[in-house]
Amino acid sequence: MKGEPRSLDVVQRWFQAVVTHPEGIQRGAASPEAQELIRLNRGELEAVVRRSRNLTAAERLSIYANAYYARLLECLGACYPVLKQAVGGEVFDSFAFEYLQRYPSRSYTLDRLGESFARFLDETRPDREAGGGVDWPDFLIDLATFEWTIAKVFDGPGVEGQSLLTPEALQAVPPERFAELRLVPVICLRLLTFRYPVNAYYTAARHAAEGEEVPIPEPAAEHAAVLRRDFVVRRYPLNPAQLALLGKIQAGATVGEAIVAAAATSDLDDDALAAELRTWFRFWSAEGFFQGIAAG
Amino acid sequence: MPVPRLGHANLGLGVGLRSVHFDYILKNRPEVDWFEIISENFVDSQGRPRYVLQQIAERYPVVMHGVSLSIGSTDPLDIEYLKKLKRLAGEVGAKWISDHLCWTGVLGRNTHDLLPVPFTEQTLRHVTERVRVVQDVLERPFVLENPSSYITFQDSTMDEWEFITRLAEEADCGLLLDVNNVYVSSFNHDMDPDAFIRSLPHERIVQFHLAGHTDYTTHLIDTHDHHVIDPVWDLYRTAHQLTGGVSTLLEWDANIPPFPVVHGEVLKAKRFMEDHLPEPEPAAREDDLEVFAAAGPTVFHPLHHIRPEVE
Repeated sequence: MKGEPRSLDVVQRWFQAVVTHPEGIQRGAASPEAQELIRLNRGELEAVVRRSRNLTAAERLSIYANAYYARLLECLGACYPVLKQAVGGEVFDSFAFEYLQRYPSRSYTLDRLGESFARFLDETRPDREAGGGVDWPDFLIDLATFEWTIAKVFDGPGVEGQSLLTPEALQAVPPERFAELRLVPVICLRLLTFRYPVNAYYTAARHAAEGEEVPIPEPAAEHAAVLRRDFVVRRYPLNPAQLALLGKIQAGATVGEAIVAAAATSDLDDDALAAELRTWFRFWSAEGFFQGIAAG
Repeated sequence: MPVPRLGHANLGLGVGLRSVHFDYILKNRPEVDWFEIISENFVDSQGRPRYVLQQIAERYPVVMHGVSLSIGSTDPLDIEYLKKLKRLAGEVGAKWISDHLCWTGVLGRNTHDLLPVPFTEQTLRHVTERVRVVQDVLERPFVLENPSSYITFQDSTMDEWEFITRLAEEADCGLLLDVNNVYVSSFNHDMDPDAFIRSLPHERIVQFHLAGHTDYTTHLIDTHDHHVIDPVWDLYRTAHQLTGGVSTLLEWDANIPPFPVVHGEVLKAKRFMEDHLPEPEPAAREDDLEVFAAAGPTVFHPLHHIRPEVE
């Protein structure tokens, strides 16, 4: 030991700058951020870190640098397994590597590591500066959004152990009062709209054999509902009328107001729509879409 | 003079709770003495992980083990995180809460790694003060673990065991002695692991960790993906004799085998608790691991992504 030890703050900021540098620890130590803290010439890392019998200071620091990216890339891959499968591991990791530069973790939990990934894909889409014309990034963004939603619904608030609105309770409402009802959706219900059929793709990818390639679909609008029941995430394709109906109910409208919105998006005549509505409400209440009927 | 284990119970031989074993444990109710949870996998959960934990906590003693406290960082302590730990500890009746003598990031960032501190007087004062704050907030026994490390700093003015000893005594906290980490760090830093263990304040050791690691010839990495190797069991025997026996926990975090294999691994500890027992069988048997072998190198990360269950 020569002289006074450096302050802990300086050592930690230097260490972090070095081991998280995207181009490795030598570039990290040479970076302005690190040099401002501890000025070192190339080959002087041993002024800060001791060598061992077997490894130089640079080799030892590289263990941390390699582990940093390997660990976080693996975690992001685990957050977005279907997206990773869709684009391939190498492409996914290159996205994820860049993502970590832009959105490094700032939380105590790795559960939030991927929360800005869809935003990142949107911010860095290749057509953003080239004047448009490329729409495949929409598929990646939609799929990332979908997988993130599933993860949040899986571990977010739910209604397990609580009583829900049953089809029988809904059927017991006098017909003349039905339109005035305000239904309370379960807290875990998410309504989603995509530019690509990512819910269908998600199903296909999950059923694919290992190594089987699932072709990326053509663009087509897709709507879906996601919720959790018995701690398992459930997915439901929705048509535009169903989306309009549930969207209005989720926004606090009466059933009557929601039906008006659904009718405006449906090609069905009134009788056919009325028959469909009965089926939909029976199905949704059986599947646990609604917590109950709002008081008053 | 502190009493053995600082007066805390010897819970016996426990297993680190991992999500891949949830169904097995709930269905089979294995005769495990206790479970240790990774705190961060549960503090925010409002879904199945928390539900499973509640059921396990009704049946088994639970200890909370964290990876994000960052006790050695110069960033401020995350008081909201500490409050969440405290709340969860109350819910599951955690016997104590532990984390590592390390830092995980500065300037608001989290590398999600257990980074080493220089062993200096300044670091000692800094960490001691923070341990006191943590204990005040948690109002529950707090225990610090020696992490595996891969570098040492030129600035260090004392050995790791001296730092740990002074920290535990000045902050009046317990220690979680990770026997495998002693072995890994000692190999990596050309230290004597036996001297490391013999130099600690044994009455402050509340818990042991055991795990496997990966040998890269020039260095060892704490991967938690293998059986415990014989030299680590030898250190465990020494630690057991020096402490009189404390709660012992096996961690297995990658290439995780079925629960009975993990449980069986920690039960091997019984062979090392009594001197008169015959020499143990070789602990690592490659054929045991055949079905769990990874295709590539393992990167240890203590926070498991719990795969959503989706229909």
